[in-house]
This record gives sequence, structure tokens and C-alpha cells, in this order.
Amino acid sequence: MTTATDALIGRYLDDLNAELALFPAQQRQEILDEIGEHIAAARAAMDPETEADVRTVLERLGDPADIAAEARDRFGIQAEPARPATPWLEVIALVALVIPFLGWLVGVVLVWISRLWTTRDKLIGTLGGMSWVVAGLGTIMVEAVNIPLSASGSDTPVGSPHVVEPTGASAIEVILVAAPFVLPIAASIYLAIRLRGQVAARSGEVHAGSSRGSRV
Amino acid sequence: MVSAKRDSLITQMRRGTLEYCVLALLRDQARYGFDLVRTLGDADGLITSEGTIYPLLSRLRRDGLVTTAWHESPSGPPRRYYELTSAGDQALELFTAEWDRFTNAVDRVLKQGEAR
Repeated sequence: MTTATDALIGRYLDDLNAELALFPAQQRQEILDEIGEHIAAARAAMDPETEADVRTVLERLGDPADIAAEARDRFGIQAEPARPATPWLEVIALVALVIPFLGWLVGVVLVWISRLWTTRDKLIGTLGGMSWVVAGLGTIMVEAVNIPLSASGSDTPVGSPHVVEPTGASAIEVILVAAPFVLPIAASIYLAIRLRGQVAARSGEVHAGSSRGSRV
Repeated sequence: MVSAKRDSLITQMRRGTLEYCVLALLRDQARYGFDLVRTLGDADGLITSEGTIYPLLSRLRRDGLVTTAWHESPSGPPRRYYELTSAGDQALELFTAEWDRFTNAVDRVLKQGEAR
């Protein structure tokens, strides 16, 4: 008889332990100890102890999920997974990504450390920020083939009927000047949107897993 | 549907009052968990799951309204007894006074509504 009831009680306490998984170890242990003592006191009063009586004690204690729900309610634990902590690592990564060179380097490292983005997201963030480097190289190359970036108009022959010519050069200019600003910011915004989705999805999971109705 | 509404109504009413029922049971004597919980459980309609009292006791202890002490038991292992602290006593006194006022007011209003 004892082994059967012990197994019954063991399962009950295991269930309760699992339901209290979100709690700090000390608080969880406190509740488990006291419920354990309750059961021990009830058993001590039984003469003789029967499995049916032990079942009744556990039934009166109630569903472990209800006890955990009450504990979350009393200690405000439920609020935490519902309102997730700010993912600081990711936020710092997003800011760093739009700062040229060193910032980008730091940002890329943080982006790859993070577990909230997919590999595709990480590549987009990396390449988006890299446009600084590309633009830098591009500028050097343009300089090298002797197209002065600032004075492209003055090279046009005076008699040329096509005054549109300079805009060809300045289009490259515009792209070279704008891209390093726009691309990292665009990549960063994209990552921020993905991050919000991830954080919401994660807190949703935890919340759904723990949002059974509280009953006293 | 009606029973779900009733459950949520009872849950809400219980929320602010149950802890004072616990304090009231400890006013004159320290009690061990099983005794305390059974006494509450025997009061009709107060609790449906006895186990939910333990998180509440944890909370009361954390807030300094009750303390615990181990005492030998005539049968079985030693028991953890819950006692009211002076802060718990004050909290209970405050609640009792306000509760009287509050229930009187609610009763009066409910009866007024009935009369019309």
C-alpha cells in the first residue's frame, strides 16, 4: 500500500514542481515543502492509511496548476512572462549597426551572438551595415578612376548640348552618399521589426503555457 | 456559463479577503498548515483547492504578517506553526474595522435596490 501511495504523492509533487518552474528556487521549494508537510500531517492522522484516503487528500489540495496559478497571482510572477524584459543585447546591436566601422563591427558580433534572430536576419543585418565599407571602397575606387565626386559638372565640355550629362555622375554620387546612411538604417529597422515579432511570440508561448484560470 | 461567471465573481471577492481570514484564524492561536487549511476548507464557499492557501501563506510571511516556528507534534514529524506578528495583528485590526463599514454600506445599498 505504502509504495502505491508514495508513488501517487511523488507524482503530485513532481507535477507541482513542474508547474512552479518559473519561480525562483527558494520560493518554489517553500511551497513544495509546505504542501509536502500538509500531506505528511494528513497521513499521520490516518489509521489505517488507505490509497483512497490519500487520493482524497490530494484532491482537496487541488490541481497543481491551480496552486501554481495562485502562487503567480500572489507573487506577481505571471506579469513577467507576459511583459517580457527588454532584450538589451539586441537593442544595443541595433544601435551599434548604424554607427560606421567600429560600431558596425560590434553590432555584427552582437547580432550573431543573439538567439532571437534567424540566420537570414543576421545576414541582412551584417550586409546592411557593411554598406559603409562598400561605400568607402567605392569612393576610393571612384577617386582612383579620377571622377572627382564634388566637381563632376566642371569636367563637362562647355559646348556640349547634353547638359543632362552631369546627372549621370551625380546619380552615382547620390547612391554612394545615401547608401551608407540608408542601408544600415533600413537593415536595423528590419531587424527591429523581426525582434519585436520574436519577443512577442516568445512571451506568448510562456503566457499561454501558464495562463490557466486561477481558482482558490 | 453561469457557473463560470460565478467562479470569477467568487475569485474576485476572495482576492482581497482570504488573507484576512487566514490572519483571523491565527489571531488567538498559532496553527500548523494542515490544521489552518482544513479549518478554512470547512468554511463553505471560502476555498475550493486547499493547496492554494500555501502560496498565500508564503506571501504573508514574506510581507512580515506571519512568522513560522517548528514545534514537536504528538504524532508524526515536527510541524511548522504559523503565528501572527504584530504587523499582522495591526493589518487584521484595520481590515476588520473597514470590513464592517464596507459590508454595512454594501448591504444597505443592496437592500435599497431591492425595495424599489
